[in-house]
Amino acid sequence: MGVFEFRVGRKKPTPGELAKERLKVVLVHDRLKLNPELLEVIKKELVSVVSRRLDIDEDQMQVSLAHEGGTDNLRTSIPIKRQKVKFEWDPPSHTPSTELRGKIHIEENDE
Amino acid sequence: MDSRVITITSGKGGVGKTTTTANLGTALAMEGKKVALVDGDIGLRNLDAVLGLENRIVYDLVDVVEGQCRLRQALIKDKRLPELYLLPAAQTRDKNAVNSIQMEQLCQQLRQEFDFVIIDSPAGIEQGFRNAIVGADEIIIVANPEMASVRDADRIIGLVEAAGKPEPRLILNRLRAEMIRRGDMMDVADVLEVLGIDLLGIIPEDEAIIVATNKGEPAVYEKRSRAGRAFLNAAMRIIGQEVPLDELDESPTLLERLRRLVGFGPAPVEKRIRSQSS
Repeated sequence: MGVFEFRVGRKKPTPGELAKERLKVVLVHDRLKLNPELLEVIKKELVSVVSRRLDIDEDQMQVSLAHEGGTDNLRTSIPIKRQKVKFEWDPPSHTPSTELRGKIHIEENDE
Repeated sequence: MDSRVITITSGKGGVGKTTTTANLGTALAMEGKKVALVDGDIGLRNLDAVLGLENRIVYDLVDVVEGQCRLRQALIKDKRLPELYLLPAAQTRDKNAVNSIQMEQLCQQLRQEFDFVIIDSPAGIEQGFRNAIVGADEIIIVANPEMASVRDADRIIGLVEAAGKPEPRLILNRLRAEMIRRGDMMDVADVLEVLGIDLLGIIPEDEAIIVATNKGEPAVYEKRSRAGRAFLNAAMRIIGQEVPLDELDESPTLLERLRRLVGFGPAPVEKRIRSQSS
């Protein structure tokens, strides 16, 4: 699910750790009186804003609440669709220039 | 005389409010304080039985509030301690028989006579709970290290704050050291991190509590009871004495002692709490 924060490679969380992590999530919701529907609305609005600038993978996007370091955080993970960004310098980079002239090549990955 | 009104509450039922009230009150009375215990659980009275005073009830809290008797007539003197009194709850009425104003007045009245007034709150967040906290100077939340209880405790913290009361303190009850060691139960530090309030006491799970309740004598009398000693420590902290929070480390196993000697194994709970709060 990706909701719980257990680092990759770490062994399975103990029931005690699991209870703590589940509690943290449920308490953030309780405290903010934030229900899953409202969270979905926030997600939709985020998509509309971010997708104006970036090509994002909406299906893989995650929006969740977490209590970390004494504050309640809205945590989002927005995967950008795989693209290669290449920048060619023109003139070559050793020539000082105040103006940036060049071409940005964006290649879709053929996966 | 600066008397203190303390309410013991939890949100969730069955976590040990009444046991905590009886033990803290008894411990404070053992220290020579004049203590009134108030059973706020109208309709479901139990504090009388935990104290072994169930056969002595004539009048109750509702009678006092409605003016059927004087406060002194309703207060029941403890069997052993001359400075410990119980104001029992009514058993045949419901929790709406008393309102917040009446309850506040009752607290004011009790203040005149006692060093400590300890109110046992009913479970839930309705009128009974609001009555229990309305006259309180301090709130103590009892929780068990499990999800439902900690979640309810968090809700109570919010309600206590909304009522304009100072931040409550926590008594974490029914800890099982062996389960914590295995990682099967949340640790003290885990619960503190989630709730973000100060700790007043750690009470280990102890069969002596059931025995004590069966006998009608709070566990603080029983020197061999770990829970009894832990309640005694919590009472000491209430009156401002510094007692280390090491209730879970009292009798480490031989293997554990060896591990600690060599420097392996988990640090004692107290150290973990310290390092977490700093």
